[in-house]
Amino acid sequence: MPRQFFTIDDRVIALIAALLATLLSPSIASAALGEPESSIQGDAAKFQGAVNSIEHLTYRVHEIALPSGTVVREFVAQGGGVFAVAWHGPAIPNLRQALGRYFDNYVAVAKTTPVSQRRMDINQADLVVHVAGHMRAFTGLAYLPQAIPSGVSVGELQ
Amino acid sequence: MKGALMRALGAGFAVALCMLASACGGGGDDVGVPGGTTTTPSGSNVAPATIDSGPANNSVNTLFVSVTVCVPGSTTNCQTIDHVEVDTASYGLRLLSSVVTVALPVQTLSTGASLLECTAFVQGYSWGPVVSADVQIAGETANSMPVQVIGDPNFTNVPDDCTGLGTAVNTVADFGANGILGVGPFVEDCGSGCAEMAVPGSYYACTGTSECAATAVATTAQVQNPVNSFGTDNNGVIVQLPSVPAAGAATLSGSLIFGIDTRSNNASNASGTETVLTVDDGDYLTATFNGRSLSQSFIDSGTNGIYFNDSDLPVCSASGLTDFYCPSSTTSLSTTLTGANGVTASVQFSVANTQSLLNNSTFVVFSDLGGTFPGSNVTFDLGLPFYYGRRVATAIEGYTTTVGTGPYFAF
Repeated sequence: MPRQFFTIDDRVIALIAALLATLLSPSIASAALGEPESSIQGDAAKFQGAVNSIEHLTYRVHEIALPSGTVVREFVAQGGGVFAVAWHGPAIPNLRQALGRYFDNYVAVAKTTPVSQRRMDINQADLVVHVAGHMRAFTGLAYLPQAIPSGVSVGELQ
Repeated sequence: MKGALMRALGAGFAVALCMLASACGGGGDDVGVPGGTTTTPSGSNVAPATIDSGPANNSVNTLFVSVTVCVPGSTTNCQTIDHVEVDTASYGLRLLSSVVTVALPVQTLSTGASLLECTAFVQGYSWGPVVSADVQIAGETANSMPVQVIGDPNFTNVPDDCTGLGTAVNTVADFGANGILGVGPFVEDCGSGCAEMAVPGSYYACTGTSECAATAVATTAQVQNPVNSFGTDNNGVIVQLPSVPAAGAATLSGSLIFGIDTRSNNASNASGTETVLTVDDGDYLTATFNGRSLSQSFIDSGTNGIYFNDSDLPVCSASGLTDFYCPSSTTSLSTTLTGANGVTASVQFSVANTQSLLNNSTFVVFSDLGGTFPGSNVTFDLGLPFYYGRRVATAIEGYTTTVGTGPYFAF
C-alpha cells in the first residue's frame, strides 16, 4: 500500500489547507485527538481521504471521507487543538491515528469488552469514548471533556 | 460454569454467585414452548441450534450451531466444528484457527500473494487468511466458499491499519465461540466498495508471511453469507427459539432454518400476522422508545442482551456492571420498530435486575438481560433475547418471498 507522507513545513501545509479547502484536496491534514492543529501530521494522508473543512462559531470541523466510505470528523477549537473525533460509516478508521496518544487507553478498555456487545464506552475525567455498530455499520465519538470550547454541547459532536 | 455471566458481561471481579440456595446447582429445567402453536421443525434445511456457556465457558445468550468444512471437492477431508455462533448482523463464516485441523487452502491472488482479511468489531480486529472450503450446515452445502480463519499463527504480521482498529479479537476465548456464522440480510462482508478499490483495514495481499498491502477483492472472493450460495433454501434464514423462564435457564434448544417459503417448514405467514420490516444499507431500522426516534437500531442474534438507553431505569452499582440495568423489580417495556418500508411493529420486552440474574451461576440464557447502549444515543440493539419465543426470518438482499423483498427481518 503506497502511502503519502509529508515532510513540508507545517505552516506550508496549513497554508495549502486554507487555499485548497474547497477543492477537497487530500493534502490537507488534521491532527489526532489532543494534538494542536499546528502540529499536523497528516491524518488525511494516512486515511487516504479527501478533506472538507467547515467553520463553526467556536470551532472548525475537518471532515475526511475515507476510501471505505466512512467519514471522520475532527473538531478543532479556535486557537486550540483537536478536542473531538467522530466517525460514521461502513468501517472503523485507524484509531491509532485518530486518537493519537489516547489510543493505548482505548485498547486497554477494548480488551475488557466482550465481542457479543456491540458497544463500548470510556468515561474518564480526561477522555470520553463511545463506539458502536456491527459489520458494515459503525459509529464512534471520542472527546476530551476539558477541552470542549465553552458553549459547545456534546450533542453537536457527531 | 461459575461466573459465566460475569465473564460474558466483561465484569472484572468475582461476586457471590450462589446467594440463593434454591437457585444453585440446578438449571436447564423447564424451558417454555413458544407462542403456543409452533413446533420443532425438521428437515434437511434445519440445523439444531443451542445456547450454553460455550467452548470457553464464558458465553451468555449466545446461539450456536455445528458447521462442517471440507477441502473443496473432498468428501473425506472434512471437519465438523461445534459451537459456531449464529450472527444475524454479520456476513460469512469465520473460524478460529486453534480449532481448525483440516487443511483448507489459503486463497491467492493473480500475483501469487495470499489473501488476508482484517475484520472489524467494535472492540478491534480479527486477522487471518481467507481460505476456501465447502461449507455444510444441516443438509445444505455451499461449495468453495471464502471463509476467514482467524488467528492463524502462520500470519502474524498485522498491518498498522488493522491493529489501529483496537484490540486483537483472535481467540476462542475472545469470541466465546469456535467461529461465527454471519447470516445477516446482506451477502458480502464488505461489498462493492472493497471490489472497486483497496480499502485500508479490510483485505490485504500478503507475500510470504510479512509484507502485506491493502488490495481490492471481487465481491465473489469476499467472505460472505454462505446461505446465499446454497443450491436451494438460499434466500435467508429463520431462527426459531422457545421462550425462556423469567429467572433464566442453563441451556436452550432451537432451530436455524434455511430458506424462506422454499418448503413447508419455512413458510412465511402470508395471512398478515407476520410483520416484515426492511432494513437500510446499514442493516438499520428505527425504534421509537420513550418518545424518541432511534434511527440506527437493529435486530441482532449476535448481541447477548437488549441494549438501549432509558434514564428511568437504574443501572447497577457494582463495579463492572455499570452498563447494565438493575431495576428493583423486573420491568416490562415496549418499543415500536419501524422498517425502512414504513411498516411498524410493537415489541414487548422485560428488563430484570442484572445483579439478581447473577445469583444463579449456572444460568446463561436470559430473556430479560438489559443494559445501556452508551456507544450511540440513536440505537436500540435488540439482541438474542428478542428471539426467545419467536420465529424471526432474515431475508437476504434482493430475494423476494411471499411477504416481501430482502433485506428484511420478519416475525
